[in-house]
Amino acid sequence: MAFLISFDIDGTLEFGDPPGGITVEMVRRAQDLGFLIGSCSDRFPSAQKALWEARDIKVDFVAAKHMLPDIRARFVALKYLHIGDRDLDQQLAEKAGFEFLWDHEGVAEPWLAWLDAHAAE
Amino acid sequence: MPIPIAPHSWHRNREGLGIWEGRGKVVATGVGTSPTARRWDEKPETSLGALTILAIRRAIEDAGISPDEIDGIVLTPESTTGVSNDPNSPAPEGWSDVFKMVDYPQAGITRGDIDWLLLNMPELKNVQFKMNGPVCMSVAFTTAAEAVSRGLTGTCLVVRGWHNLAGRYYVGQGAAARDTASGPGKYGGIWGMPACATTAMIFEEYCNKYGKNHDMMAPFVVEERRNGLMNPDGFFTQHRPEMITVDDYLSGRWIAKPANIYDNDLPIQAALAVIFTTPELAKHHKQKPVYILNHAQTRPELQGAIPTLAEWERSSDKMGRMLYEGAGIGPEDLSFENMYDGFTLFHQFHVEGLRFASRGEKRGYALDLYQTDISIEGPNPVSPSGGNNGNGRTRWWHHRDSILQIQGRSPSQITRPAEYGVSGAHMPNFCDALIWGASVE
Repeated sequence: MAFLISFDIDGTLEFGDPPGGITVEMVRRAQDLGFLIGSCSDRFPSAQKALWEARDIKVDFVAAKHMLPDIRARFVALKYLHIGDRDLDQQLAEKAGFEFLWDHEGVAEPWLAWLDAHAAE
Repeated sequence: MPIPIAPHSWHRNREGLGIWEGRGKVVATGVGTSPTARRWDEKPETSLGALTILAIRRAIEDAGISPDEIDGIVLTPESTTGVSNDPNSPAPEGWSDVFKMVDYPQAGITRGDIDWLLLNMPELKNVQFKMNGPVCMSVAFTTAAEAVSRGLTGTCLVVRGWHNLAGRYYVGQGAAARDTASGPGKYGGIWGMPACATTAMIFEEYCNKYGKNHDMMAPFVVEERRNGLMNPDGFFTQHRPEMITVDDYLSGRWIAKPANIYDNDLPIQAALAVIFTTPELAKHHKQKPVYILNHAQTRPELQGAIPTLAEWERSSDKMGRMLYEGAGIGPEDLSFENMYDGFTLFHQFHVEGLRFASRGEKRGYALDLYQTDISIEGPNPVSPSGGNNGNGRTRWWHHRDSILQIQGRSPSQITRPAEYGVSGAHMPNFCDALIWGASVE
């Protein structure tokens, strides 16, 4: 079973507007390590898909930000994490049963430690 | 000396005034548009002031005239409806190395200012007529139309710039920035309604009254984005060339149900300048003159803290009647409509008030119209500019495009001949609008 990370885009990812601190490299690393990854943003879904495709990343999901509960229902995961830069991200994430990290907290890739912790269990 | 605004008597705000006295005496020719940005990066060269100067120079070049010929400026000083600096905030470091300053420290930063422009544009050395068109560029357009028609200026710049600072629009400002609410804000602001909430409530009433629903807005929103993405000067073309789909629109997060996030326009930084002049003086201008056939104004006649459906219908009906009366045309003469869309959910009030593309219907037909061919290729082009929703928040794309349509050079040019058009902003009960024509015949 995998871990799932949802990224907000604007203010969170480096290709957001404004740019955030989470790099494409960090996203790619998480995916390579088996995380389910995707975006939940106020950019419309088809635009989110295009943004990922332009960076040659095949994400597991894109959705409008308020659709986090649907993402949780669609995927079975050990943990669900949403990373964003606004109070609304936190509010919607917690309401949907996701853990939440601010964009600046995500820069340290704390989710990588989950793998070690899980392996040790 | 403070810059004046137009006397109240200049605004055509009642019925029975007859054909506008200025009809046939005023035309638009050159148009200049600055680049767009989502937010200001705090560099002088990308400031509201810098963008405004650029737009003015482009308009003059577009008209093919000399800056010497400009003898008037009408400008909308307000440059945002969102976050602004304290008026006394000093200019950022390095600002005075680039721009000369007037007494008002935020000139060119968070406020447009004619004296600041003249100080920083030495080529505009013959400007005698200066007037502000407050709140909305629509007011600047109607003010300039009157000024030219009254012979107060011969070749007049009409100008508006927009700034968008970092931070969240509407958050932490106005009543929301204070511990207590006062004035009209105490009746509505303290409940934390987002800006689109009033529109959403009235739209809901509209749907209930006429048996419509929010999903019926989708073709309009999609068409607006399509039109906007044809505009090389638009924000989305320049920065987010992403087409919206019906599914995207319908999946939008509610901001104030039934207004979703894609019913709200995106604040940006941009500036526009347009040249108004007389038909005589326009003879040597490079661009085809576009006649202003009439202008009109409505203002709220509130019966409570917020407007009602009845008031919006009454007010936009009155706007339609006033515009046609003064222009000497009827709704069947319109080749397109470019009314304001800053919340998409009130656009249909403007459309219906004008009886645009009506087949005898008076009210409750616009959302059905949206289900037909409203494209630029079709018989009834609705918002061919793409409006704010298709280009970013300025409240002037629709005016700009109306001029370009009639000149035959709009990036989203309608297929049918563009003979007469209408544009106006902003709310259905707080609107200044103009009828544009290829001729006065």
